[in-house]
Amino acid sequence: MDQLFDVSLFNSMLRIVTPILLAALGGAICARVGLFNVGLEGLVLVGAFSAILGNHLLGNVWLAILFAIVCVMLFSLIFAYISINLRANVIVVGISMNFLAAGLTTFCLRAIFDVKGAYYDKNMMGLPKWDIPVIKDIPVLGGIVSGHSPLVYLAFFAAILMQIYLFKTVSGFRLRAAGENPVAAQSLGIPVRRIQYGAVLMSGVLCGLAGAQLSLGQVTMFTEGMTAGRGFIALVATMLGQSNPIGVVASSLLFGFMDAFSIRLQGFALPAQFTQMLPYIVTLVAMFFFKDRSYLKDAQRANGSSR
Amino acid sequence: MTRLKRNLFALLQPIIAVIIGLLAGAIAIVLLGDSVIDTYAEMWNGAFGSFYFLTNTLTRATPIILTGLGVALAFRAGFFNMGSTGQMVLGGLAAAITALYLPGPGWMVLVVSLVVGMAIGGLWSLFAGYMDAKFGINLLISTLLLNYIASLFAGYMVAFPLKDQSGSAAMAQTPMIDKSIWLPKLFSGMSLHAGFILAIVAAIALYIFIQKSVSGYEIRMLGNNPFFAAYGGVKRGRMMVVAMLTSGALAGLAGAGEVLGTQHRYLDGALASADYGWSGIMATLLASSNPLGTAVAGILLAALQTGAMGVERNTNVPLEVASVIQAVLTLFVSARFGYAFLKRRKEKK
Repeated sequence: MDQLFDVSLFNSMLRIVTPILLAALGGAICARVGLFNVGLEGLVLVGAFSAILGNHLLGNVWLAILFAIVCVMLFSLIFAYISINLRANVIVVGISMNFLAAGLTTFCLRAIFDVKGAYYDKNMMGLPKWDIPVIKDIPVLGGIVSGHSPLVYLAFFAAILMQIYLFKTVSGFRLRAAGENPVAAQSLGIPVRRIQYGAVLMSGVLCGLAGAQLSLGQVTMFTEGMTAGRGFIALVATMLGQSNPIGVVASSLLFGFMDAFSIRLQGFALPAQFTQMLPYIVTLVAMFFFKDRSYLKDAQRANGSSR
Repeated sequence: MTRLKRNLFALLQPIIAVIIGLLAGAIAIVLLGDSVIDTYAEMWNGAFGSFYFLTNTLTRATPIILTGLGVALAFRAGFFNMGSTGQMVLGGLAAAITALYLPGPGWMVLVVSLVVGMAIGGLWSLFAGYMDAKFGINLLISTLLLNYIASLFAGYMVAFPLKDQSGSAAMAQTPMIDKSIWLPKLFSGMSLHAGFILAIVAAIALYIFIQKSVSGYEIRMLGNNPFFAAYGGVKRGRMMVVAMLTSGALAGLAGAGEVLGTQHRYLDGALASADYGWSGIMATLLASSNPLGTAVAGILLAALQTGAMGVERNTNVPLEVASVIQAVLTLFVSARFGYAFLKRRKEKK
């Protein structure tokens, strides 16, 4: 069995889980203010593309990440405006955001880089790998935890930060109030709309980071539709985690593990199609055990019916 | 009279959406430094320029209309069925298998293949509906996940057990289906096949079903106001079975039609990568889930796509300009849902 489970499996799990976790945190904060963000997939895709574009234009990885964050924030503003100001059905808006992201990125890929399908530049610098001083010398733990891109650490840090913010600060309390009962919150003078905008923008930042990790973290390239459903898996992670940052970490880790595991299984003469299916099947099965109890139901109710 | 007015008004909004979409496309073209008028002229030519291009457009529209109709019915009932791609893939695969291995006269095998494709698509969709009704698993998510599972499963089937061993084929595909089982072409030498007629018939039938039948009324009620529907004794679970089964069956028919009418074999990825399923959802959104409108929107989206191919052939503007136009179209439509809501609120006050 030690061929199946070893240090590098868990190492790659942490790497794979990062985009899912970041996007899921973005989904969680949106769910907390009563917006069910189906557009995560599109936001991450825009993030992945703009990170590569930023790297191409600015020639610096850090500026590229910043560029990705700004682009995705602008993009998420469209979502915020249509669903908050125009009060359109968030699910329909989210679906169209995914269309828009897919269309824009394929178009820009063609228009800017003049390539079809995928853009790859071997001179482009990816994200550096950080070795953590003391931990990297600890035998097993070092191999798992050390040597990742900074965004991996940032993702887990962001989860802890969000947990503290949501449950220990006044402003986090107001944010949850705005989601739980917008009318009551409004009557207490809480600026519900401003908070919702803030949450959507925050999810934009997180999805921008998720996209950057995707396109700059392991391989420095962009392929059309490279998110491949990760945004949707993140959505499930949000639901399974009950929009609770720590819960979201746990459920994201489950999916990251299944993903890494499925790649590992490909070495075992199993048809690739079945191993690739595994994360989706596990996601589906996981939904049997953890239902979305409160938050998304509330979120949907706050937006009228489920339609 | 008011009814006519309402229908005209319903028509007006998609037209505005199209104009805005074309404007967005124009901006993209200007940014690339090309002539907008030339590009759009090429697009028109590529979509409707000759009888050949017109039939090409209608061929492409066929699966879009069928999946769109399926989604329209589910949306009407308030179920977000995002799984049309997977239902279509499995329907196409099932139809291909039936056509390959069922003995009998050609026309009979053809009919049975279409029915099997519909049944498998419908059951796959019903599976998601069942999980929602019975276990409370969010339909939107489960149908999305089932898409990936279906596509990968079909990919496995044609890569291993059903793989075409004849010829130099390194492609993952089934063997060619016998000519006698193909859906007949409507015009000789053109790609348009009888599936288009099925799609149009399905659109009219679905329109009548939703507008005139009791079940159709119950489905609309459920979609518009689930609480009122529950109060009125509409059983959500039963409606979900009807809506999801029909919805998936239409997507399955789309896949079967593609396999039996156009490709004559199941080729891995051919159905999923052409994005018929997503275009169908877009058509539904454009037409606010009206079946007849969905058919028109399906033809429109197909025209955009085939037109863009003409653009790519004859100008420097890439094919992908169509996806920008499409995306802006749907975004505008989703915003329109918002305006309708605002208006309703004002009336209440």
